Amino acid sequence: MATTKINIVQTKNPRTGKYVKINRSEGRIITSKKSDGPYKGVPIYRKPNNAK
Amino acid sequence: MILYSPINGEVLTDIFKYMPRHCFLMTQLGGEISPRTIEIRNSLSEELKKYKIELIDANAQTTGGDFLDKIWKQILGVPIGIAILTREMSQTTVANIYYELGLFDSLGKETIVIKTEDFDIPSDSIRTEYIKYNYIFNEKLREFINNVFERKVHYTDMADILSNDPILSFDYIRRAYLISGEQSLKNKAEDIFKSNKNSFNDHDAKFARGFLISK
Repeated sequence: MATTKINIVQTKNPRTGKYVKINRSEGRIITSKKSDGPYKGVPIYRKPNNAK
Repeated sequence: MILYSPINGEVLTDIFKYMPRHCFLMTQLGGEISPRTIEIRNSLSEELKKYKIELIDANAQTTGGDFLDKIWKQILGVPIGIAILTREMSQTTVANIYYELGLFDSLGKETIVIKTEDFDIPSDSIRTEYIKYNYIFNEKLREFINNVFERKVHYTDMADILSNDPILSFDYIRRAYLISGEQSLKNKAEDIFKSNKNSFNDHDAKFARGFLISK
């Protein structure tokens, strides 16, 4: 059975200071963290090297 | 993006003017304005100038039309809204300011309240960011403005992260552009639009074009 890799990342929202978890594959914001610090086991978004 | 007019509840189909690097001031404009309000406004204006952000208020444009319609379109066009609240203001003025703050928040704009030490924030608005007008006012205001520019970076990141949804991606870039006024962001928005035309329905496409042609 073919599987699709789900691409989930997190990034910090400077307005709240909290991390936001996003499903890149679906283009959907999953949830925002209530407490400080990043989600465990979820990669933090890094800008691509060629980004302006 | 579907926007409903607060005047008649109809969908906005007009094109409005975008004003990057502008801040809309919510405060008392008519009647006898207290010296404290004038002092706060002057301090705010001076600080914003250092960041090349222009301060405007509801009297900045003369349209001859409905006053609320004019305010709403100004709010749509700017990235930042700042409210000044002092104890000397009438309940009517304070109510108007909170109404405008609500409009700003619902449109994803950056807002902050500047209040005098003796002004109490209503309980429903405890999550609204505010700074007190005291000896560290300028420092706190600079922290807010710097944070707004961090949000611009966040919005460009979000546009990249959400690239599988071109409409969301376009909108994050639009918000980033409003904060910084960088032409490169507008070019990026145009690239997103041109590469994903099929994802934009007629209304979204009209909204996107309105932004792209805005000077």
